[in-house]
Amino acid sequence: MTTMPGTVGFIATSEKEAKKQSVGRLLVSWMTSTDHKVIGYLYLITSFIFFLLAGVMALAMRAELAIPGLQFMSLEQYNQLFTMHGSIMLLLFATPLFIGFGNVIMPLQIGAPDVAFPRLNMLSFYLFLFGGIIVFAGFFSPAGAASFGWYAYSPLTSTEYSPGIGADLWIMGFALSGFGTILGGVNFITTIYTMRAPGMTMFRMPIFSWNVLLTSVLVLMAFPPLAAALLVLEMDRRFGAQVFDAANGGAILWQHLFWFFGHPEVYILALPFFGIISEIIPVFSRKPIFGYKGLVFATIAIAGLSVAVWAHHMYITGAVYLPFFAFMTMLIAIPTGVKFFNWIGTMWKGSISFETPMLWTIGFLVTFLFGGLTGVILAAPPLDFHVSDSYFVVAHFHYVVFGTVAFSMFAGFYYWWPKFTGKMLDEKLGKVHFWLLFIGFHGTFLVQHWLGVEGMPRRYGDYLASDGFTGINIFSTIGSFILGASTLPFIYNIWKTWKKAPKVTSDDPWGWGASLEWATSCPPPRHNFITMPKIRSERPAFDLHHPDAENIVGRDELLKKILGPADVSMSDLKSDENKEQA
Amino acid sequence: MKTEGMLFAAGAFVFAILTAAYWFTAHEIIGTLCISLTGGLAFLIGFYVLFTGKRVGLRPEDREDGEISDADVDYGFFSPHSWWPLPLALSAAMMFTGLIFAPWIVALGVVFLFISIFGFVFEYYRGTDLG
Repeated sequence: MTTMPGTVGFIATSEKEAKKQSVGRLLVSWMTSTDHKVIGYLYLITSFIFFLLAGVMALAMRAELAIPGLQFMSLEQYNQLFTMHGSIMLLLFATPLFIGFGNVIMPLQIGAPDVAFPRLNMLSFYLFLFGGIIVFAGFFSPAGAASFGWYAYSPLTSTEYSPGIGADLWIMGFALSGFGTILGGVNFITTIYTMRAPGMTMFRMPIFSWNVLLTSVLVLMAFPPLAAALLVLEMDRRFGAQVFDAANGGAILWQHLFWFFGHPEVYILALPFFGIISEIIPVFSRKPIFGYKGLVFATIAIAGLSVAVWAHHMYITGAVYLPFFAFMTMLIAIPTGVKFFNWIGTMWKGSISFETPMLWTIGFLVTFLFGGLTGVILAAPPLDFHVSDSYFVVAHFHYVVFGTVAFSMFAGFYYWWPKFTGKMLDEKLGKVHFWLLFIGFHGTFLVQHWLGVEGMPRRYGDYLASDGFTGINIFSTIGSFILGASTLPFIYNIWKTWKKAPKVTSDDPWGWGASLEWATSCPPPRHNFITMPKIRSERPAFDLHHPDAENIVGRDELLKKILGPADVSMSDLKSDENKEQA
Repeated sequence: MKTEGMLFAAGAFVFAILTAAYWFTAHEIIGTLCISLTGGLAFLIGFYVLFTGKRVGLRPEDREDGEISDADVDYGFFSPHSWWPLPLALSAAMMFTGLIFAPWIVALGVVFLFISIFGFVFEYYRGTDLG
């Protein structure tokens, strides 16, 4: 244990400040903050608000769809709702949520006092916030919000089809928040590359930090094409540039550019949340993560392959080379399968307990597996042709995206809440929350697979009684309201925990925490660590708190090399290579 | 910095192969351009990191036996708090929305943007003579 240079002074001043904080002072201190944790909380809070807003939009749509006929909205309003629901959920909820979790947790896990560019970090947040407000302001414009679907296909985005300024606000708002995301990605990569604590080699980083790194790499690859495409689209609308004019083949050009962003974006949403899962499973299975290196290389493979699968969203255009994209899409299922193998391997023969974070993790595994399997179905063009743009696709991507983002988000909230606030969320309410959400989610979306197979297209605000879709739609709507109601116990839980829960006294309330964030107080001081343990494995906090623990997995030399440092015992670290380096 | 650099270098290599594979099977220009430019981006970062890594040698965080006390005592400067990100983002937002409504808003946004960039960059600048 050695004192981190230069941190003690900062802590003393921040504690002095904390004593004399009024509401105004608190507001100013948050507005001008350069603390990665505070900025992370701002990200988490803001993105959760957007999650609730877009969730309410979803409930309005489900209510409208419950029975045939238009009950309380016009088709144009329905179009606006599904457009804004999709784009807010992806770009103003899930993406910033990744930056939120990454901001709070990643510097703690690698033993850094802050991110590399603290002021740039705050700038990214403000760009996201203002971009989000600009997009949302579309609802208050005369013609309403954008209504061309979240992927904004040309020529729907032209001034002929979307004359209102809601469309312009959508485009410019997302361009602005996109720049915030790019800056956030740059910040994370630089932090991980240059600010790890001594001894924290790349292959000792927790899986979550690895996934934050690779997600940031994906951000660098995917967001610039989106920003460029959006700005060119605005040029088309304002200055008549005609780049995406359908007469010049612009419709397909837009689809290529959009999905070159859009598909890596799906992995931007998935990878960090896989990381959360990979943090939680070992802690509640009382075992090191199984196949650490395999997991890291699987993530690298997903990141690498993700740029070569974009046009599987474009099968039905007839303008893409099907064998290439079908092959690549099937290929990317393999590293994803490797991850499942590793998670199950970690739980295998472990001493599993089902506290709320683990419960949400199991919920994720089940839900995401369903989404992955229908993904393989959709990857095959002959099958995709029949269900493309139907509710089958809607069900598929909700299983994938809700399965990863929402389930893992709540897993992460319940897991890291003591680290965020110094108090544990209520377990009983957490379980009520989980089961309500689990039943509600599967009730809403499982039946939509059959709805799609029966032929109901997505994005239709209405259908006829003679179509025979009514029964499934009513079922789905009831499910969606259970899903919506599940948020109430969570919010009550937050309030109850805030008011009544006792303070956490230990650094590691779960008892088996592995990564460095469990080696500092709850919540951590301003620059994160007062003392830092020696880092000699990928589980420094575990080594610190359980010095006598036996190495559980593997005595075979070859197996250790393949499976990586996670499974290597302390005495094996003195290989010839290290002697050379020393 | 070897692992860090190789991550991007390997990316450049893979994207080069993918570019060729895509071009020779699909004969489609947009995707070819996108993948190859992504490869270029990966090459740029990979080359820079590997090059810098060679220059600075093994850092304490690259060594498996790195001690906490090996970290540079002069760890770095961290801004305790700052007002500047707010006006900078506000003027950027003004510029972006101005494009929708009127050119003079863009012009005003650019002026504010320059002022706030100046403030952001020189917030902690106190002259070169350290006196």
